[in-house]
Amino acid sequence: MEKTKLSDATDEGIRQIDTRATSVNLFSKLMHYAGIYAVALMFLLIGIVLQGLGIINSFLTTQNLLNILDAVSMLGIVAVGMAFVTYSGQYADLSVPTTMALTGIVAVQMLKYGFFPALIAAVAAGLVVGIINAVAVGKYKANPIIWTLAVNYVTLGVIRLVWVNKQIYPDMIAKTQRASDLFDSIYRLRFFNKIALPLLMLVVLVFILNFIMKKTKYGMQLKMTGAAQKAAKFSGINTERVIGTAFIICALTATVAGLTITSLSRVGAWYNGTGYDFKAVTAIVIGGMTLAGGRGSIVGVLGGVLIIGLMNNIMTLLGVGTFSQDMIRGFIFILVVGINAKSLRSMGRDDA
Amino acid sequence: MPNHYEVWGVTMLKKNITKASMLTFADRNRIYILFIVVFLFMTLFAPRFFNVFNLTTIMRTMAMNATVAIGFTVILIIGQIDFTIGTVITLSGIIGLGLKEYIGFGGSVPVAILAGGLIGLINGLLVAKAKINSFIVTLGMMTILQGAIYTFTGGNTISLSSEDAFAVSDWLSDMIFPLITPRILITIVLVTAASIFMKKTRTGRNFYMIGGNKHTAWLAGINTDKYTISAFILSGVTAAVGGVFFAMESAAATLNMGTSSLMYVISAAIIGGTAMSGGKGGVFNSFVAILMLDVLYNGIILFGLGNEVKIFIAGFILASVVLYEAFAIYKHEKVIGQRPELLKELELQNAQK
Amino acid sequence: MKKIGIILFSLLFMLAATGFVFAGGASEENTVADAGNLEASLAVDVSILKAADGQALIKLGGAERVVPARPADPSALPEEDPLHWWDMEFAGEITNKQNIPESPADGAIGKKITMIVHGDHPWTTACTNGAQKVADAYSMDLKIQSPNWDLAVQNQMIDQAINERPDMILLIPLDAKTALQQARKINKAGIPLILFNMLPEAAAMDYAIAWTGPDDFGQMRKLARVFADKLGKTGGVAYVQHAPGGSPYFARSWGPISELAQYAPDIKVLDKQAPGFEADKTMQLVSDWLTRFGNDLTGIFAADDSAQALGIIEALKKAGREDVVVVAAGNSKVGMDLIKDGGLYAITYQTAEGDGALAVKTAADWFNGLDIAAITNIPQHIITPADVENFYPPQW
Repeated sequence: MEKTKLSDATDEGIRQIDTRATSVNLFSKLMHYAGIYAVALMFLLIGIVLQGLGIINSFLTTQNLLNILDAVSMLGIVAVGMAFVTYSGQYADLSVPTTMALTGIVAVQMLKYGFFPALIAAVAAGLVVGIINAVAVGKYKANPIIWTLAVNYVTLGVIRLVWVNKQIYPDMIAKTQRASDLFDSIYRLRFFNKIALPLLMLVVLVFILNFIMKKTKYGMQLKMTGAAQKAAKFSGINTERVIGTAFIICALTATVAGLTITSLSRVGAWYNGTGYDFKAVTAIVIGGMTLAGGRGSIVGVLGGVLIIGLMNNIMTLLGVGTFSQDMIRGFIFILVVGINAKSLRSMGRDDA
Repeated sequence: MPNHYEVWGVTMLKKNITKASMLTFADRNRIYILFIVVFLFMTLFAPRFFNVFNLTTIMRTMAMNATVAIGFTVILIIGQIDFTIGTVITLSGIIGLGLKEYIGFGGSVPVAILAGGLIGLINGLLVAKAKINSFIVTLGMMTILQGAIYTFTGGNTISLSSEDAFAVSDWLSDMIFPLITPRILITIVLVTAASIFMKKTRTGRNFYMIGGNKHTAWLAGINTDKYTISAFILSGVTAAVGGVFFAMESAAATLNMGTSSLMYVISAAIIGGTAMSGGKGGVFNSFVAILMLDVLYNGIILFGLGNEVKIFIAGFILASVVLYEAFAIYKHEKVIGQRPELLKELELQNAQK
Repeated sequence: MKKIGIILFSLLFMLAATGFVFAGGASEENTVADAGNLEASLAVDVSILKAADGQALIKLGGAERVVPARPADPSALPEEDPLHWWDMEFAGEITNKQNIPESPADGAIGKKITMIVHGDHPWTTACTNGAQKVADAYSMDLKIQSPNWDLAVQNQMIDQAINERPDMILLIPLDAKTALQQARKINKAGIPLILFNMLPEAAAMDYAIAWTGPDDFGQMRKLARVFADKLGKTGGVAYVQHAPGGSPYFARSWGPISELAQYAPDIKVLDKQAPGFEADKTMQLVSDWLTRFGNDLTGIFAADDSAQALGIIEALKKAGREDVVVVAAGNSKVGMDLIKDGGLYAITYQTAEGDGALAVKTAADWFNGLDIAAITNIPQHIITPADVENFYPPQW
């Protein structure tokens, strides 16, 4: 490891005052400039090398790469929305799983009145959860993890009370075949026979949300709030509204994901979406967004999502068993995030 | 001059009772009040709730999670989080029963507890020395352990069916005197010891200091890294103790027996008044909260109601507690920087006009 | 104020004390049997009851079940050998019944039964519906409890049930192996026990009157044979497994693997993975398999006919590989619809209502003093596109 001075601190004065360790290695530089895509590239290279060695076949084909994208599109949709919550310094929204279940089951129930009323009802249900979170965490500063956990419980309880532990089927509820088919096609619609609708939605969401986060006034306020909430508040930013909006965005993307997963599994049920909370956090954090808030980007989160997809793909192609995959995944997760944190620290960017 | 004092963790009022002091009393002891309310409600209304057998059943159910909550509360007190407790429970159960055949309970139980401690140590080192957020470390570790458990067992539940294993299992679950079985006794002893340690010793108080403000604690000469690591070790050890004794009493360890404990213990600790932000709460409070939840769940079953009611009520209580605490801070923060006496003057002036 | 605390605590203490005094009185209330009860019970005809799919509610199976002799040490055999799984498949065939209560033979009418299932699921709802129908026919007082897949809660429910002393406990153990200690506990309390649905390990059967439910290994073997016939007894298959920790994990992968090793040894096992019950994860897995094995993959055997089957079929559609034969264990609406659509080739007929109904019926027979078999199976059938209409609508 070479020891250099802070490479990109332009101000001489800061360099002298800042006495934190400034060891920068090649990897941390790479991480700094290329972000998580450095790791994604590494995985891609591993895949190509393995294919070159003949250990796995047809890794670098359009079909396989599309498969990887397809597999993670739903996770991506959840993650890019939840990234706003993480970015605003509020860790995570653990109410995502039941938000997905709730919006899905509400949509199926409302299919009785047609496809578009169902969509509107689902969005409304998602908004309700989002607003509840927004008020509690944004305005009253409830601890985000515990609050959203509690909301997760309450929503689950509500779903199970209202639908008496049953699952409901779109084709049995819908009055017209058209409504049922349209609902079925949310997941199954393909453009050019290749690109699935969820993947397209993910790409569109990444564009929109990245624009919001990086180019708009709200995005700047969000960054400020995430990095230093008190300072943001005292400089006149309505942090309550900023954080609240982040939760509403998260709930809305969870709604999209909820509709997609319900369309895929053809049942509205309380267990749809289980596990998406921690999966999304994993993707977000691997994507270089720090839990402290105010650092990272939507594009980075997309990189994190892609890494998860690549990793799963390569491991299955190699024939690694499900359980060993878990172990490797957990290990890589800690490793990547650890290295990322360390490189940030060694560049003087973070003291945590 | 504060008008309250503490006896065994229960806040008591001094002689001059005012409305404010009553409120403080209610606030400080809210978990005890909540427990008493729930208990009385169930006693009055739930069928067949109030008898020795049922109360012992509640105590038995409580025993595992109450043990696990000891270490987890300490983790929350220092301002960290530990998602591995669920998988550590499972792991220790599997080790404790799986190795019994080879080295007997005398060997396997310590090994299981040591394994829990070792996982805590790794977590602690990664958090304190490698400075990775505990949310990430323990989330990753949880995935690793889950995979390890499945690989280690090949998907098999571990169970014991030899006569001596049953003897141990029966001994752990038989009443020695009303409400108390050996496993419950172990739990109560551990909880009592940990509460006294946390409240009465300097070392215990230091954990609170770290959680309150890590930097100040460090400046005051506390080796924060050492405390962080020991908290994680403690969490691993108590989770393992809870898991291994539960497995021994059931004479079986399933591959997901700890899964539901994670959310259960987190909820209980928070309802008991321990804050996620650290520096606040207590082991005994978490214990009472677990007991309260178990009384509640037991009553719900006795009423013949389903899990949906249980989930809803648990979520509702948790949400109310979180909102109540957040609201108190919100109100407090609202008046920061305000001068009440000036506001009063202003009010007076307005009244005169 | 100190006094308030003291008063509250002494109040609690007093309550506790009175509780102990009256503790004994809460239990022990036996229904008085009158002479006509037995005759009236025997006259009840449950064979006219119908399940939601139009089939008779109570149908018996197991006629074709052949129990081979137990090898000396099954675990020493290779996993591909069907006899390796003898202890798991034929648990309860050799039993050493302990302390089994005598049948009162005073009629099933008016008996109190506590049924403890494993957790909430649409399957469970259908199962308890079936149980309720039979219980209503016998005017039995059936109390159903669900621990939501949590062992600690199931143990608590068993403790509570023992405390309430019903006339019979019906239990779906959470796991084959946890059943042992639970059955012992109930047996020790002297309450008759019937285990159902989940086949526990052999030792647990010693403490139960009987076991009823599906022959999971048997129907998987049957499904595997239909699968192999469709494949022409050749090709490469991959297994999407059940979640680990329980007998379905083994029955639904090693059952068919060991069966095919004998029935169609030319069929190769390419891979087996347990992605859980999520359609998207299964889809990714199968897509990756298609990349990895290409045309070598000609069949997929899934442990679940709803989410897993959907994921498999989506992946096949995407890759344009509808030629791959897919069979799945289970009998849900999603699975039946997939058979009708032609994506799935076969699923197992496993009546959910009948499962619960048979357990209650067996209990009723026992109260009526009839002889009951140690093991009773619900019928097996493989549903294919040819006869899916006969089994429609599905029960859940």
